[in-house]
Amino acid sequence: MNRRVLGFLLELALPVTVLVGYALWASRAQSFYFPPLDEIGRYFGELWLFDRVGSDLVPSLTRMSAGYLASVLVGVSVGLLLGMSRVLRTAAEPVVEFLRALPAPALIPFSLLLFGSGDSSKIFVIVLGAVWPILLNTIDGVRGVDSQQLDMARAYRIPLAARVWRIILPAAGPRIFAGMRTSLAIAIILMVVSEMVASSNGLGYFVLEQQRSFAIPEMWTGIILLGVLGYVLNWLFLRLERRVLAWHFGLKGLAGPATGGTRSARRSPFGKRRPHAPAPPAPAASSARSSASSDGEV
Amino acid sequence: MLEVSHLRKVYGPDPSAAPAVADLDFTVGDQEFVCILGSSGCGKTTMLRCLSGLIPFTAGEITLRGKPVTGPPEDMAFVFQDYSRSLLPWMTVRRNIAFPLRYKGIEKNDARRATEEALEAVGLADRGDRYPWQLSGGMQQRVAIARALAYRPRILLMDEPFASVDAQTRSGLEDLLLRVKERYGITVLFVTHDIDEAIYLGDRVLVLRPPATVGHAVTVDLPRPRNQVLTKQEPEFARLRGELFAAIDGGSVAA
Repeated sequence: MNRRVLGFLLELALPVTVLVGYALWASRAQSFYFPPLDEIGRYFGELWLFDRVGSDLVPSLTRMSAGYLASVLVGVSVGLLLGMSRVLRTAAEPVVEFLRALPAPALIPFSLLLFGSGDSSKIFVIVLGAVWPILLNTIDGVRGVDSQQLDMARAYRIPLAARVWRIILPAAGPRIFAGMRTSLAIAIILMVVSEMVASSNGLGYFVLEQQRSFAIPEMWTGIILLGVLGYVLNWLFLRLERRVLAWHFGLKGLAGPATGGTRSARRSPFGKRRPHAPAPPAPAASSARSSASSDGEV
Repeated sequence: MLEVSHLRKVYGPDPSAAPAVADLDFTVGDQEFVCILGSSGCGKTTMLRCLSGLIPFTAGEITLRGKPVTGPPEDMAFVFQDYSRSLLPWMTVRRNIAFPLRYKGIEKNDARRATEEALEAVGLADRGDRYPWQLSGGMQQRVAIARALAYRPRILLMDEPFASVDAQTRSGLEDLLLRVKERYGITVLFVTHDIDEAIYLGDRVLVLRPPATVGHAVTVDLPRPRNQVLTKQEPEFARLRGELFAAIDGGSVAA
């Protein structure tokens, strides 16, 4: 109990120090670019409680969730197909590698031509950037499914659909979630970037507009809100992951070297869990050409 | 029950390559317990994979209850050596056991009953809600056996199922297997490299020599129920052990 309180205080210490330090410095510095903390706070309250929530935050979140969900759906389903079929994987590899190497923001102009300046073009850009880590991790996860589990399924005459749903998908789950976590960060980045081009609302638009009208404290509130948003979404994601993959963390906790059991294994080098190491490598990598890597790039 | 005649299995596209199984003949009678004894690399695993319909074979014939085996048969269950890899860690023990039943077309209530009965038969009635990785190795293999039992097979194929547990656990599992075999009235084909285990469990022991041909066969004329201490003290047990040891040894020298 005491240790937990101590740990919490320790986690709080650095952010508080930074904030206090900034407040002290900025109140004296009279800098145009770094307005005093209380001023930023005042604007933050005015703008985001809850004046512009509906006009900027909600549209941003809608685009991001739509893009992210589409990325998960496409990434996991295509990843399943490519992971299970060597023929498809070989055929798709050049295209996947090319598209993945393409920086998604480079397609914003094209996306605007294709979809106009509405939500669809932004969602398109988000999917184009966020789908790859999920896709590649799913492929890797599917290929890494233990051959004995699949033998068992065949010996017990488990039909294909059930093999996919009950064995392949859960077994690839840890890898899929690792990809989803990378993609979450990418989706937030692309949400902001896409809103900075030909947009009339959203957080990215807001930050750029405030900067253009030299409303620096207002601009900072947008940036801070984006940081908070990323933090909260990541936290929610970890909670979901811990729930869905409870078996995985339990298993890892027992297998790990820590004697403290599951609890210590659930903590990461940073207190909050970092992306866990990918599931054990594929026991029988049939092809030497690995079409997938564990983390994706924008 | 199970008839294997002139079974041949060659890996790869070239049929004249060295076979993993050359020319295998044997039969297993109804409710018989047959042990297949062989050193590693003698084609035991390949043979089992052919018998279970997991891989196609090159030539010969396998029939189970008169029907040729072309894919995994309905009347058969398989217990793998590596329990930690054949149980699904994201399902509880109970769900692991019940999982194959759903797709066998067994009704929900019957499946539940079969699951509970199998759990009880392997002495894990109170562990159904645990996850496999929360159990010891011996218990995990009992779960794998329970899964096979609940499936209600006519024949149970076991691939060195007790090779990776400690000796104490192992004798417990052997006795458990003999008990449930009687209780469920099933036929067992048990592959092992352990001579004592083969004699202790089996009605018959077949010695496999590379490339998987039956080099020697003995009938185990020891009284049942068997007993870990008394059975192994019988002069017949010692005689069989000597005979089988020579048979395996002769095989490896010849190879």
